Amino acid sequence: MNQTFLQFLKRYDFSFLGSMLAIFLVGILNLYSSTHADTHGLNELYKSQIGWFLFSAMVAIAVSFIHPKTFERFAYLGYFITLFLVLLVLLMGKVGMGAQRWLVIGPIRMQPSEFMKIGLVLAMARYFTKVYPEKQLGFKDLIIPGLLMGIPTVMVVIQPDLGTGLLLLFIFCMMIFYKRLKWKTIATLGVIGMVSGVLMYNFGLREYQKKRIHTFIDPYEDAKGSGYNAIQSEIAIGSGRLFGKGFKNSSQASLNYLPENHTDFVFAIFNEEHGFFGSVFLVILYLVFFMRLIWLASSVQRFFDSVMIIGIMSIFFWHSFINMAMVSGLLPIVGIPLPLMSYGGSSLLTFGIGVGMATSVSNTRNFFN
Amino acid sequence: MFGEEELVKIHKERATQISYILTAAFGLILARLWYLQVYKGETLHNYSIQNRLRKEVVWAPRGLIYSRDDQLLVDNIPRFDAILTPQFLIDKEETLGKLAGILGTDSASIDAIMKKNSNQARYRPIIIKKNISFEELAQIETQNADLPGVSVDTFISREYRDKEVGAHLLGYISEISQTQLPKLRERDKTEYRLGDFIGQFGIEEQLDNYLRGENGHEFVEVDARGRRKRYINTDNLFKGIEDEKPLSGMNVKLTIDRDMQLAAYKALEGRVGGVIAIDVNSGEVLSMVSRPSFDPSQFSRGLSPEYWRSLVGNKFHPLRDRNIQEHFSPGSTFKAFSAIAAFEQGEIDEHTEVSCSGSFRLGRKVYHCWKRGGHGNVSLVRALRESCNIYFQKIANRMDIDVIANYAKSFGLGSRTGISLPREVSGLIPTKEWKKKRFGQEWQAGETLSVSIGQSYVLTSTIQLATSFAAIANGGKIYRPYVVKDIFDSEGELVKTFTPEVLSKVEIKNPKTLKFVREGLYQVMNHPKGTAFMRRGQGIMMAGKTGTSQVRSASADKIYQRCTDMEYESRHHGVYVGFAPYDNPKVAAAVIVEHGCSGSAVATPVVEAVITEYMKKYQPEMYLKNLEKDKVIRDNWVRSLRAEKEKPVEAEETDE
Repeated sequence: MNQTFLQFLKRYDFSFLGSMLAIFLVGILNLYSSTHADTHGLNELYKSQIGWFLFSAMVAIAVSFIHPKTFERFAYLGYFITLFLVLLVLLMGKVGMGAQRWLVIGPIRMQPSEFMKIGLVLAMARYFTKVYPEKQLGFKDLIIPGLLMGIPTVMVVIQPDLGTGLLLLFIFCMMIFYKRLKWKTIATLGVIGMVSGVLMYNFGLREYQKKRIHTFIDPYEDAKGSGYNAIQSEIAIGSGRLFGKGFKNSSQASLNYLPENHTDFVFAIFNEEHGFFGSVFLVILYLVFFMRLIWLASSVQRFFDSVMIIGIMSIFFWHSFINMAMVSGLLPIVGIPLPLMSYGGSSLLTFGIGVGMATSVSNTRNFFN
Repeated sequence: MFGEEELVKIHKERATQISYILTAAFGLILARLWYLQVYKGETLHNYSIQNRLRKEVVWAPRGLIYSRDDQLLVDNIPRFDAILTPQFLIDKEETLGKLAGILGTDSASIDAIMKKNSNQARYRPIIIKKNISFEELAQIETQNADLPGVSVDTFISREYRDKEVGAHLLGYISEISQTQLPKLRERDKTEYRLGDFIGQFGIEEQLDNYLRGENGHEFVEVDARGRRKRYINTDNLFKGIEDEKPLSGMNVKLTIDRDMQLAAYKALEGRVGGVIAIDVNSGEVLSMVSRPSFDPSQFSRGLSPEYWRSLVGNKFHPLRDRNIQEHFSPGSTFKAFSAIAAFEQGEIDEHTEVSCSGSFRLGRKVYHCWKRGGHGNVSLVRALRESCNIYFQKIANRMDIDVIANYAKSFGLGSRTGISLPREVSGLIPTKEWKKKRFGQEWQAGETLSVSIGQSYVLTSTIQLATSFAAIANGGKIYRPYVVKDIFDSEGELVKTFTPEVLSKVEIKNPKTLKFVREGLYQVMNHPKGTAFMRRGQGIMMAGKTGTSQVRSASADKIYQRCTDMEYESRHHGVYVGFAPYDNPKVAAAVIVEHGCSGSAVATPVVEAVITEYMKKYQPEMYLKNLEKDKVIRDNWVRSLRAEKEKPVEAEETDE
């Protein structure tokens, strides 16, 4: 028994859980640093963040014991359940923070659009595995996957949660790219995307969303001062210089120059306190994690697992990239958290589930090879 | 066909390409960070150190509240705190010494305050003294250069001109608490933040959305010594950032009269209770006062723990509003509605006489009249005038409780009047069905007798009593009582105006009903035998009804015990409700004096004071005419006393 347990431990792939822990440790220190001076109760936030992390880590371990075949079998079911929850939020119209994103069941507040991302990944992996798995994708092959992505995307955009809608779209793009979308189709889609983007902007966006884009294009020209966040964020990052101001020494953030410094703008605080070298270290941590996922995707035996891993990777990649890019002024400010760094339970839990699924796939490969 | 492993293999190329995309994406991020942190690092670092530009909230001035006669009731007054930021201290000893001199304290106590706050960051200001005087303010401002680290924080204090008077009606504002925040955000769909002030009680709560206004922001530069100045836009980096002016809250004009408020508050001096006066022909609330009270100004800048303890620890509950948030048995005032029910049902007419021997037996229980020897044969008018219990109980014994209840309910008793103020209680008019539901028992005949004189389960509030008597006075129209007349924006433009609203009209079939009930109520005040004749006031020609509300049901041996000999908690509440002038009703008012023992001696004078103030101010001609009528009544009375050649008997002050 002991022997087999040791054997098991040897084969269990701890690399994903390890990465999760490493980034989280950086994140929790940073969260503590950016909120410790708050007098309105935010200084206690790190405690609940630790609680959520422990819970998410347990979920990750539990999920890692589920065989990947089970994910495949229940892929569509998972997709429709999450889709149903997103619809429920929309219908119930529970308004929190100006947008209907939360599903409240007793004391539990859920953000189903978080889980929708995983639901979408599962459904697409399953579809691609069963239908012409070897075929290069053309336009016609995109109709059904497009619907799988399009329906939830429209729902979350109506909520209105443009950020999550775009994420679903990007995850979809990366997955069809992996599923060998023809280069010719990619080019055509690019053109269509540009045109519809312009149309969307003119007819589909709310005023505050447009404002954010304006602010991005020229933050210094915004008369009402909503370019303020973008500028303060840049000042925070820039003032960190090469080595940073040191732990707990962010003046920009602590003096409330920067709003929401515990959610969307944590990366700016990190940069201010730890400078360019700190940022390089953090970015490499994320990159290692993503690279290992890509490596895993091309060394498994089952095609479903491969596509699913790429999907999970793209969820976290897009979150990280968009958040870092917006905080440093490369993209307009949309409310997208930085995985493992930003405060928030639903986001941590999604990450935990993703890590669990990756570990499960990796373990299966180890145990049966 | 491909095998699973081949499938993975043919996708390997794309996997590699994805890893290139990722590397490029993060490379881009790092390049941007390099640009910001290394290439522009020095510049941006200087901004963060020297040029401390901050976006600060500019609080919107909250709307003002005026009385119906345009007297200012609630105002905003700037107050100042002396603050000190440790980070900017150069010579601590010297600065503390100077500051202590200005504030009339010593360095050691300022140092103690600093020590108490030493766990917070050094750049956070510490409040050294709250609410400093203008003199202290001027000294700090003029010696600014010699006081590095010291500055003045301005805040707007919400001041209630008459402090405790009408505090329950006006309400108060205070900071949103952590627990309130999510609920209020949900309720108002507004992005409140901690530190925001919000109406928490009374008008301040009810009209919060109008009064609050919208906060603006301004950009403030804090220099290296911690002094603030308005940011002047010269820097290229901040080009285009602008201040946003706050939007003032709207001003509110109430239906309330300030002088009546003061009169009412004075009349309740030393009492625990509430009084409310309503315009009979519109439902406008003219006065609404509850005592003991509290000073709402104290809430707008964080309550001191001592003051809070004094409010919470007070056994008379100063935070409770006696007019709309409390209900009690109406006592004999309810007899007016028993009379209307019986008259309308044809059980009685103006000639019906009932004999009162002082007690009345039903089953095994004996019911007593407040007058030990009984009243003899009494008619309706006399029964009301002298508040004979036996008359109403004998009549009620012939009637169905649900019929009586229906009449009482049609006058608005036992349900919320719909006044737009938070937390109104509904009261209760019992029915057979209610009792079945509440206790699972059948209605007892004896209970009808108790209800007919306003005891047992019947519960009403002063606002319901005033509204229902207003309906008796105006012929049956039930108005929704309201306290807000107009809402103006900060420029004085009328935004919203409130008009009288008739909620329902009581259907009175017999034209004699109201006539004789009013006559009875008139004689209560104006007939020498009336229970409140001695408290009739001058120049108001009031009609009304006294009552005492039993707090504990008295056992047989205690029925005639003097109320003032009882323990405070067991004493009856004194109740009075009336309208004036009798022949051309303008105003109705109701009062409760908790544990006041007597309706006539304790409760009646409160209403009399409020209505007298109204008559003098709003109906001066009627007031003068009434004075003459009063003189006639008094002369007749004196003459009749002389005719009887008896010494004047002491007026009877209990009515049950």
